[in-house]
Formats: sequence, structure tokens, C-alpha cells
Amino acid sequence: MKIMDREENLREEILSVFKNTEVSSPKRKRLTVITEKALISEVMKFLKDRGFKQLCAISCIDWIEEKEFELIYHLSSFESGIHAMVKTKIDRENPVMKSMIPVFTNAQTYEREIWEMFGVQFEGNPRLIPLFLDRWRDIPPFRKDFDIREYVKRTFDVIPSLEEKQNG
Amino acid sequence: MSGKSTIKKNGSIFSPFKALKFLFKKPHTLRFPFEQKEASPRWRGFHLNDWDKCTGCGNCADICPNKAITMVKVPEIEAKPGRKNERPQIDYGRCCYCGLCVDICPTGSLRLARDYIHIDHGTKSFTLLAKDEKTDKEHFVSKENYSLFNASLAHRMSNNEGFVSDLEYSLFEPERVPMPQVPAEERKLSFIEQVIGYSREEAKKEASRCLECGLCEEACPAHLKISDYIRAIYEDKPVDALKKIYEDNPIPSICGRICMKPCEDVCSIGVRGEPLAIRWLKRYAADVVEDYVSALNIKPGKPTGKRVAVIGAGPAGLSVAYFLRLKGHDVTVFDSLPGGGGMMRIGPPPYRLPVESIDKDVNYIASLGVEFRFNTTIGKDVLFEDLLRDYDAVFLGIGTTVSRSTRVKNADKAMLALDFLKNNKIGKGVKIGREVIVIGGGNVAMDVARESIRLQHIQYPGEKTVTKTVSLEDWDEMPATKEEIEEAKEEGVVFNPAWGPKEIRIDEEGNIKGLQCVKVKSVFDEQGRFHPTFYEDKEMFLEGDMVIEAIGQAPDFSFIPDEMMKKLEFTPRRKVKVDENGQTSIPKVFAGGDIVNLNLNAITAIADAKVAAEGIDKLLSSK
Amino acid sequence: MDERELELFFGPQHMGMVGNFSITLKVRGDRVVEARANPGYLHRGFAKMMEYRVWIQNFPLVCRINVMDPDPYELIYAMGVEELAGIEVPERAKYIRTIVMELSRLASHLAWIWAYGNALGFDTIGQWSMGDRDYIIDLLEFLTGGRIYHIYIWPGGVRRDLPDGFEEKTLKILDTLEGHLPEYDDVFFNNRLFVTRARGVAKITKEEAIELGATGQVLRATGVKMDIRKLEPYAAYPYLDFEIPVREDGDSYSRMMLIREEMDQSISIIRQCFKKMPKGPVYHRVPNPFKWKVPKGETYVRMESARGELGLYMVSTGEDKPYRVHFRPPSLPHGILILEKLLKGASIADVGHIMMSLYIAAPEVDR
Repeated sequence: MKIMDREENLREEILSVFKNTEVSSPKRKRLTVITEKALISEVMKFLKDRGFKQLCAISCIDWIEEKEFELIYHLSSFESGIHAMVKTKIDRENPVMKSMIPVFTNAQTYEREIWEMFGVQFEGNPRLIPLFLDRWRDIPPFRKDFDIREYVKRTFDVIPSLEEKQNG
Repeated sequence: MSGKSTIKKNGSIFSPFKALKFLFKKPHTLRFPFEQKEASPRWRGFHLNDWDKCTGCGNCADICPNKAITMVKVPEIEAKPGRKNERPQIDYGRCCYCGLCVDICPTGSLRLARDYIHIDHGTKSFTLLAKDEKTDKEHFVSKENYSLFNASLAHRMSNNEGFVSDLEYSLFEPERVPMPQVPAEERKLSFIEQVIGYSREEAKKEASRCLECGLCEEACPAHLKISDYIRAIYEDKPVDALKKIYEDNPIPSICGRICMKPCEDVCSIGVRGEPLAIRWLKRYAADVVEDYVSALNIKPGKPTGKRVAVIGAGPAGLSVAYFLRLKGHDVTVFDSLPGGGGMMRIGPPPYRLPVESIDKDVNYIASLGVEFRFNTTIGKDVLFEDLLRDYDAVFLGIGTTVSRSTRVKNADKAMLALDFLKNNKIGKGVKIGREVIVIGGGNVAMDVARESIRLQHIQYPGEKTVTKTVSLEDWDEMPATKEEIEEAKEEGVVFNPAWGPKEIRIDEEGNIKGLQCVKVKSVFDEQGRFHPTFYEDKEMFLEGDMVIEAIGQAPDFSFIPDEMMKKLEFTPRRKVKVDENGQTSIPKVFAGGDIVNLNLNAITAIADAKVAAEGIDKLLSSK
Repeated sequence: MDERELELFFGPQHMGMVGNFSITLKVRGDRVVEARANPGYLHRGFAKMMEYRVWIQNFPLVCRINVMDPDPYELIYAMGVEELAGIEVPERAKYIRTIVMELSRLASHLAWIWAYGNALGFDTIGQWSMGDRDYIIDLLEFLTGGRIYHIYIWPGGVRRDLPDGFEEKTLKILDTLEGHLPEYDDVFFNNRLFVTRARGVAKITKEEAIELGATGQVLRATGVKMDIRKLEPYAAYPYLDFEIPVREDGDSYSRMMLIREEMDQSISIIRQCFKKMPKGPVYHRVPNPFKWKVPKGETYVRMESARGELGLYMVSTGEDKPYRVHFRPPSLPHGILILEKLLKGASIADVGHIMMSLYIAAPEVDR
């Protein structure tokens, strides 16, 4: 039996069900599925039925030049040991995505994180409240157009040093 | 699970009472301060810096992820090329003791110590200009005088090194990408170019070693933007690299082969490893770009209508012509040779600098509109006075064109180095002897000896021939570069260091029989001036049928009329005196190259030319 | 019975708290009705900072993501970069990495026995385990030159070879530790008070654990034999013989016992490493940091840290800095949803050890 059989079977199965979807296996125990925004839920359900029981994490990348956010849903199968990445791109100007909570309960926290750090709205997530940044008024900080160094200068350079304070 | 597990399923309320047995046991804890624990030998604590070794390259400041290191000017240290007077200052409010600064330090001067205690109210006291016990006797105390209660940045133990640099784990690559060369056995049979040149991959790999500290740029007489062009080569943009080179050096194909590379001598990686192959990278950029005209797209400046005459098409003359042409002046270059390059054309043997490489540079300068008048000897075909009259400025880049002779008995039977090299490279060729003696220990002597070996192999194939050199200097003081000496040895040149020529012996028919030599006691006097002394009783006879003298050259000023020559001022070391604009004591006559500087190399000539070009331009635009 | 609902702030200034973390409890009597985790007391934004630093400059940073178990972060970052750049790590370095991983696991577990004991009011065990942890820290100091942040595993291998005498010293300390473990059992793990307090408390089922993203002890306590060291072996784990302790009950007691049982395995793994470790280089040199550009690409690498699956999703656009770094720490799912779920209905007295039993490292939750 070939090592890549499981990955290859999955690949063919996904391709036979979903249109506009690319599937590849860059190495053993990895599966990358690139699909369109509308199909994500279906793909995730499909994979969940095939052993990918756990949602590991959701990553977000700000492709500022392409004016897109890329969402990567990391799924893990404990049976086959395969880690699958389901990827899709959404509009950066109006970043809205359907929440994945109906498929995976723990999507809640990861969506909260992306909402807070990138400003992506997840429709159907009841708990889009800050994890870390209470009273944050700037643009979401993990966006590429947020300059951390400029922010630090603006915020902390106005605080006098200990010596300055002592000398009045 | 392992069989010896002592875990019980439900536990017991009596189980914890077993701990009572520890009641009277000695505790594990150290009773500070009566007991102290030493930091581990690799401890990453406060910095130590050996100021004698530190070159101020600033790589530590660049790598620091927290910007904890600032390079601070230290006036006590004398700055010189390859050694800045800057030393790292560490802010312990920011330092995270990661030690990246240690692993990037090319010299290994920066280390971390095993002390880490500093308590103070003032935040300013947390910055430290790192030193070690060698230069800071005040703050580093011996183990006996050290007290933990006083421990601070101002009270540290000497000989307390912790995390130190290790070349095996350094963040830079200490070893050079080897330059492919024709092996000695093969190359000595012909004049094939010895250095093959880097391939694209090799050049990129070698360029990737550069740390961009810029020490080389200070050491280069012409201050080429070395870090920039090496980065361009690394990024696979050789045209950009060549453009950067052309900003300061218009003869990259020549310099990429024969430059004396003072830059490589100071390369920070070269302190413990092999320096960057800066010269070979320049050569790579010059060779890989085939058509300079379309690639570089450099245009001469707006015409000014001013005319400049340049005497000598060597590195100085070519460069001054190029820089002036960019400023829009009309430039005419005169040279007695049939092509450009000057000494480069006749001196360096073809296996080091082929004529095609010279022509590549010269043709490009000509393409910009510089007029070349070859086969034209000033003072004979054109008079110097006429040049002064017809042109707005004159530049002397005449170089040293007359070989010096040893003037020992029968020295007239010997051949002079320049005649030999010139005839061989661009003339009819030389009939070589079977047993050749070359007098001299410099690079020209090496060129002559190595050419002689090749000629012998060509003219007497399969026969027993030999080339010997005789030099006043011993191995360690020989002026030729180590590389040249090594390569000459590989090719079979026999060396006789520390012998002085006394007499060329001839037979009745006037044929050379050999060279009588006398043992050298010392070459230089106490002040370091050239003043050889000999053991008169120790003599040796070297057999040979041909003697070539390669002991140095002198300039030929015979084209300058006598009354004007009187006005031309010289320095105490017999160099033409020029001011900060490169102008000689004769108005509107400028000079540069070997007649001006003591370095006697192409890159210094280019540096002179840059100065003179600026000076000439200033003079011409003020009129 | 008083039916009033109160809001109670548990942490961040609380003896039983893991550190910069807080839980807001809604209580009725001494029962928790609802719990809300607030990890916002510690935000450093390291994922963003890493986008501003060249590849090698990130390696001293990543260990700071989890102070109790820093080395897995160094390794995961190194693994990510190595995969993107296609760097092959020397065999000996793989073994050294494994030793460091297991030492770090031991140190983390020992610290946690202290934290857990503390939450239950057991002081003695904490004094012992923190004392023994110091021996491990001493070893790591001997190896790397740092006590807490070792800054040792970097892309290409490890930073220095083992110092002379490291093996003997380590084996001796492992023997000492192994000698102490039965005494831990006496005073704590076999203590009826601990068993009664912990057994049956904060139970989670297998399905819930998977659904809520649990890994590590939290998942293994429900009977799922999931350990990345076996699922997708990295470093020298493919060459080593070890077991994954699993329990079925999914309660606070099981999770804590797994921590105890894993220590036996870690000790055995380190001993095997010394036996099997080949000689040879430990570092494959990477290009100079000012010129190093990692080829364009993306990767997800994962490993088993002391707390569970640690993942790293990293994207390079072929520049000298990473474009995006996203860590998947085990404590993020444990510390928010699972914690909130398990606290519901618990008594206030159990809040501390329930949280400790989930093995949450507050700094890991930070992004």
C-alpha cells in the first residue's frame, strides 16, 4: 500500500463532490483544500464526517496588496493522523464570514480572535467581544496597515523616563 | 506502565505521614549567602568586549532583536580603515541575553560573562560600554577581591567568561566559496586565464556571506559601495551591481581581476575566517553583463564645450576620462601603446588579465564619446606644450614605465621586466632561456617568473627547464602577495630569498653563465627605509642562461620641457606633488596614479582620478 | 437557601491563579452558575512583532510565549523555518532536541504539581517538586547558559553541542528524581485527601473534549490516545520506545495522574536518547541573518508540548522576515471554552484546582 493512499483517496473524494475546489497534499499527513467562501461550511461538514473531528485552529492572513483576507481552518483527524487546511479568501474591504460554530463549537474562540485582531465579522457568532484588547480604538492590530512601531512611538514616547520625572 | 509504579488506586490518609522521615534530613536548598551557586560555564550574563580585537563593525547592534546595542564613538581609539572607533554599548533595560550578538561577532571580541547582578536606582546606570579586564582594570577585580554583595556592572570578576563565540556555530559563514581555477599542472603549459570565475550560483552563495558592515568601503581607496553591489549580486541583479560599481570605478573588468583588494584585507569575516571574495564578485558582475552599453544606460553629461587632454590610458587616465565625460566635457586620451589599459595592458600576464577584458572596459568608456589617440607618444608625435595650449586642462596619468636596473656588473646583458612582459603580451614574443634567473621579489617578479615558466613549457616542451628567482627579501618580507608566491611555487618556480645579486657572469662569447649572489643580512634599516646590508663572505653562484631584472619601475618625464620640469614640484619620496584637487604645481596640469601615490595600484589610481576629475571640473566650471 | 446571584472576580490577583489571567464567576451560594475567562491581562502581540524581525531574530522571542515550557516554542519555530527553507537537521541535533523537550516537559510538570497542590492546599508537595524542578533547570542552564529561557534550539539544529559531563550529570539527576517520585506518591498522589477532592470533579466526555479542541492530558484523560509524538513523530521520537499514558474518567484526578505518569515516560525517553545518540555535527549552518530569505511558502508544523498539541502555521513570501506567524497553543481552547464549561456547576472551592487540572498556561493564550 502506498503511503499517500489515504491523502489521495480523500483528494479524489473531495474533488468529486465539490466544484471550484483545489485539493493537494504537499507532504505526508497534510491536506490542503482551497475552496470558495460559500462552500466552506459544506467542506468542513464533509471532512468532519470523514474523521476530521477536531478544529485545531483558524488562521487569518492579511493579503493587503490583493485586498483580501485568507482564512485557514485547521482540521485534525486522530484516526488517520492527517492535518487538513481548508482555505478560502474573503473581501478585505467588507470582511464578513459565516460563523463555523454550527459545525465546530470551538470555532467560537478562534473567530473571536480573528474578529479582534483582523476585524473579520463572523455572522452567527454570539460572542464577538474582545479577548485581549479592552477599550481598543485603533484599527485591528494584526492588519498589515497597522504599524506597531509607529503605535509604540505615539503611545509610549510621551511617557517621561524615571530621570525626567525626578528632575521635574 | 512500568511495573515499579507506586501509584495506588484510592490512596490512603496515612500515606502523607511517610514524609515525616525527612524531618531531620539536610535540605536541598542552598543557604545563601553562606552557600553560593556558580553560574554555568556557558552562562549568558553581562557582556565582555575585547577592545583590541573589536573592529567596531556594528554587526552586534544590527542583529540585536531588541535594539539594546548602540555603537558609540570612542575618541581614545584611533580610527583607521577597517577599524572604526566605535564600540558597542549595551542597554540592560532592553537586553534579553540571547547572545545573538556573540554568535554574529566576526572577531569573537564580544562575549558574555558569568555575572548578572546589578542593582541600582538610576535607570541610566543600566547602560554599559562593554569592556573586559584587559582594558578596564578599575571595574574588573580578581576573584579574591570580588564580593557578591558589591556585585554590579561596576564590580565584576575578571576571567569570568561565559557564552563565547564558536566559529562552528557562528551566524556567518567563515569559509569562502572556492574559486574554480585551472590547476597548476595544466595552467603552466599555456597562457590560459587561471581563474575561471564564479558561476551564478557560486557568486550568489559567496555574496550571501556578506554582513554589510561596510569596513571594506572605508578601506577601499576609491570607496566603492561594496555592500550595495554585493547585495545586488546576492539578489541576482548583476546589472544593478555593475551600475553601483560604475559610480566609483569605471574599469570593473580590469579591477575584478588584478585589484590589490585592500577591502578584503579588512573584511570583518576575514579576522577569523576567509574574507569575502570581493574582487571575484566584482569580476563576476563585470563578466556576466555582456553588453555594457545597453545594460548600464549611462549617458554623458550635457556638453560644456571644455576640452581635457589625458596623457596615459592606464587606470588613472581611463577613470578621469570617464568621470569628466559624465560631466559633459570633451576628453581626449593619448597613449603610446596601440590600445588602452596602460600598464594593465603590458604588465599583468594574460593568465591574470587577458587583453579582451581590458578592451571591454576601454571600449565602454570610448562608447560614451571619449576620444582615444593610441600609438601617440607625447613629446614626439604631439608636444606637451601644444596640449597645454589647446586644451583647458591636462591630466598626467603616465605611470611608471621605465624598469629599474640592478646596475651590477654586466647588467646590460639582462633583460628588463617591462620589456619582457610587454613583448610577451602585445609584442612579438620573447625567446626564453632554459635556465632563467629573475631578480626581484615583488608581484612584477612573480609575473615575470610565472610567464617564464609558461614560455619554457611552450618553447621547450618536455625538456628540462627551470626558472629561479632571487630576492633581497626573506620569505616573510617579500613584497609579492602570498597568493602569488604560492601559485608560483605550485607552478615550479624556485625561490632564493635573502640573496642579493652581485654580478652577472658571462663567458667569452658574451653569453650569460649565471648570477653571482651574496647573502643578505638585512633589507631595511632601523627607520624602516630600504637599505640592504650583506654578509660579504657568504656567496653563491646560480647557473642560468638568461637574467631578467624585476626590481621596480620609475616614471619617464622626458616629454615635459626642461623649464617646465623645473616648476613641477615633488614630494620628499619623489612623487609628484598635488593639492587637494589633484592639481600639480603647474596650473591646469593635474596628476594621479603611480606618479602621485605610494600604493602603486590600480584602485588608488582610480581614487586619484576621482579627486582630479572633481578638481578639473571645478576649474573648468569656474572659468 | 439564599438565591441571590453574585459576581465574583477570580484573579488576576489570586493565590490560586495561574498568572495573568482572570475568571469572572457568577455564583449562587457556593455554586458557579456561569464562568467567563478573561485572558486579556497579558498581551504582547508577539505574532505581530515577529513580522518585524528577521528570521533568526525571532528565535530568542518565541520561547517567551510560555515561561513554564519554553523549549517547545523554540523547536516548533525551528521546525517551521526548516520546513519552509528545506533544511535538514543533523541526527545528533534531533536527539539533543528530544532531550531538551523532555527536560522541559519534566520541569513544566513539576512546576504544575506545585501549582495544583497549592490550589488544593497541599504545600509540601509543591516545595519538593519545585526543588526538583530546580535540578532540571540547573541541567538546562549547564546545557544552554540560561535558566528559564534557553534560547538554544534554532533553525538548523541546536546552538552548541552537549558540554562535557552533561550525560553523567543528567543521568544522576534523573536517578534522583526517580527516587523522589514514590515519595511524591506518598505525600500527594496516594493521599486520600487529594483523591477525594479530585476524583469525579470537572468531568468531560470524550466527544465534548474533541469538539471543544482539547489535546494533551485533557483529551487523553477521556480515553483518546492522542499524542503528536506518536501521531506524527518529529525530532528523535521515531527512534524511541515509549508509551502514552491514557485514562478513561476525564476528571481532574485523571488529568493530574497523567501528568504524574508522563514523568516516568520522560525519564525513560531521556535515558534512551543518551544510549542511541550518534556522534557528529549538531548544526547545519543557515545563511547569514542579514541576507537570509526563506523561500515563499506556507507550513503547518505540530508537536506535543507539555500541555498538548502545539501548532505553528507560518507563511513566508520569500522575504527576510515571516509574513504571518500563527501559533496554535494547547492552552487557548483549554483556557476559554473548556474551562468555562467545566466550571459551570462547580463549587467555588474547586475553581482553583479545576483550572490547574486543565494545565492552562496564561501566556500561551495570548496572541
